[in-house]
Amino acid sequence: MATSFKQIEENLKNEARKLLEDQKVSLVLAYGRGYDENHPVPFVAKIAADVENIVFNEYCTANMARYLVRYPRGTKMAVAVKPADSRAVVQLIQEDKVKREDVILLGIPVIGMKNSKTGEVIDSKTTCGLYNPVLYDVLLGEEIHGQPVVSPYDVLAQYEAMDKDARFAFWQKEFDKCIRCYACRKACPMCYCDPCFIDQNKPKWGEKSPQSHGNLMYHLTRFHHLAGRCIDCGECSRACPVDIPLYLFHKKVARECEEMFGQAAGKSIQDKPVLVNFRVDDSDKILE
Amino acid sequence: MSFEPKILGIACNWCTYTGADLAGTTRLQYPQNLRVVRVMCSSRINPSFIFRAFQLGADGVLVGGCHPGDCHYNTGNLYARRRLAVTKKILEFSGMEPGRFRVEWISASEGNKFAEVVTEFTEQIKNLGPQTKFKIVK
Amino acid sequence: MLKKTAIQKISDLAAQLMQKGTLIAPVREDAGFNFREVSDANQVDLNFYNTLMSPKLAFFPQMEDFVRYQTGKSVLEAVPVEISLKPAFLFGVRPCDVKSFEIMDIHFSGTGAVDPYWQKRREATAIFGYAFDVNTPADGADFYSTLGIGAADPEGSDVFMMKKSDDLLLKAVTDRGEKLLAEMSGLTDATPDDLKYFDETVAAGRSFKTRFTCVEAKSVAKKFEDLFHKTPFWERISDGCLSCGVCTFVCPTCYCFDICDETLFGQGTRRRVWDACMFTDFTLEASGHNPRTKVYQRLRQKVCHKYSYHVRKYGVISCVGCGRCTRNCPVNIDIFSIVDQAMKE
Repeated sequence: MATSFKQIEENLKNEARKLLEDQKVSLVLAYGRGYDENHPVPFVAKIAADVENIVFNEYCTANMARYLVRYPRGTKMAVAVKPADSRAVVQLIQEDKVKREDVILLGIPVIGMKNSKTGEVIDSKTTCGLYNPVLYDVLLGEEIHGQPVVSPYDVLAQYEAMDKDARFAFWQKEFDKCIRCYACRKACPMCYCDPCFIDQNKPKWGEKSPQSHGNLMYHLTRFHHLAGRCIDCGECSRACPVDIPLYLFHKKVARECEEMFGQAAGKSIQDKPVLVNFRVDDSDKILE
Repeated sequence: MSFEPKILGIACNWCTYTGADLAGTTRLQYPQNLRVVRVMCSSRINPSFIFRAFQLGADGVLVGGCHPGDCHYNTGNLYARRRLAVTKKILEFSGMEPGRFRVEWISASEGNKFAEVVTEFTEQIKNLGPQTKFKIVK
Repeated sequence: MLKKTAIQKISDLAAQLMQKGTLIAPVREDAGFNFREVSDANQVDLNFYNTLMSPKLAFFPQMEDFVRYQTGKSVLEAVPVEISLKPAFLFGVRPCDVKSFEIMDIHFSGTGAVDPYWQKRREATAIFGYAFDVNTPADGADFYSTLGIGAADPEGSDVFMMKKSDDLLLKAVTDRGEKLLAEMSGLTDATPDDLKYFDETVAAGRSFKTRFTCVEAKSVAKKFEDLFHKTPFWERISDGCLSCGVCTFVCPTCYCFDICDETLFGQGTRRRVWDACMFTDFTLEASGHNPRTKVYQRLRQKVCHKYSYHVRKYGVISCVGCGRCTRNCPVNIDIFSIVDQAMKE
């Protein structure tokens, strides 16, 4: 039986208060009250009194790991992490963006999260499908077991079965909707480059105007940059104002990486990201 | 007029490019459709080069590097192998014909292999026809 | 002049407008409704609350070509891009969005430096306003009544439309609207009952309440000026901000743009593309210096521009309370709450 959201909120508040009072951390990344119940905002508690503003409910979907890289190295932080978010923290630790000893993970097992834009339950096919965080220091609710195990990659079958021309037409239609607001890269916990390749002028990798070719360049390269790093939280697709199913492509790349290199992103802090690593016995078959 | 594809070749300085030189000095015949760009190592290749090449009108892209284990920088091509494998999967899932992108390990002494690969790849691209999916319409 | 037609017959109306010129109307798309140039009269759909993107794109498209040139050729051979002056009809604009055009006019023509692209489009376009339904509560993100805009204000439109059960009432507001309605066939004259309903709805729209806080332009502007240096306040409200460009792109009163030269195959185009003050490189200078590197500085700029600097310079708040930024923000940051909190600070 999953712990209620109310109980998790209570535990989160208590834990945050304790950490801030004991000065174990200088900030706690959690969720705060938005303009109404269904629209919580990411919230940073900096003093114990801030803790009263913390909320947690089924609409708290934002990936708080995204904010870790915003603070100077060495800042002691606690972060509320749902299953996918914990993978993001693991991945950031692998990439040495944040140190394990600087971050305290307040793990939250979740089920039945809802999208605050639509009010609907988030389809687990669009996310990593985990119920429990992979890494945590404190668990704020009981681990969830006995739920159907959903493969995060099942959703791909119908797209993989498509004819390549149809698939190209599908992606072209989706990318043509892009308005280049860059919400996808900004919502992504793994997108921390400054400047992003698409903002560079010399060399200019792609057009800044929202046309097919610039959009294609931006998205394909972004998928590539996230290869073996995407932790499948689905934030990019939820952030997208024009509903481009970015998660599909990320999942596809993640699956290929997992099959080729035998390692999924953000599962263990001992791993090295697959594309900055190699094995001498990698098969040449992967190039075929 | 028959279709003459434009093929971008990206060759590593130490092996494939030297191999191409050898093919030239031994006067091996191979199609002229390949335009070679020399890079210091196959791991120098940013995947965006490949996407961009297709956008700017390449009908095919051929990447050449040292045989795994023979890299001038010891491990460059081992990173490149993983990276380019991902590039290939991305191209494929986006709807591009998989045959338009190819990676080959060609050493400095394999002039004949270079000529063979180029001949075969050009033939393959000819069969696939012009690349229109990524190409930016003028 | 007040006319009416059955809601089901709006495609007839649309078809007539399409014969006269370009029709830009709400069309249902994957992510919601958007104003698009209509090619098939049946696409026009008035069953929307409000569109995803604001109607500013009818006058100020996200991408607009100015000059075409060829590399290696003389500047004198560059060709300016002419815009067509076909009459256009912007159909189904909500009252708060109609108000936004008035604010945008200040920037594109009111200050003396006239933007010919905006100006020409604006002159060529007749606006068909469309009242919100005053009998259903407003979306939780909207706050146009805070800014003194009614749910059914006909001002600013050429023709103002509203629903009356299965009918659509069309009222000519300007001379251009009168002329347009007179030329339309298939409309019936409204009954005195309809006339009464129209006036009552406009009145009801004025007292219709969305989220409301007392915002007086001068005092809110002063408040934000005083708050400018209170960094902790700005840090607190921007802690969650991702600094993406969604809010500015969907905003009906955001007008920042970038001029890009995009050259491919020797053919170049100088074009204007929307830019956003929320982007890191928005203020990046050629020297490499960036005066706004922090998220709080950028969010502060956005809020203060709308609620403070704009008031000081032009006397009006540059926000119409349409709620798009709030609805589409990936992390639910709400400009209304920011203003509300600032006033209490």
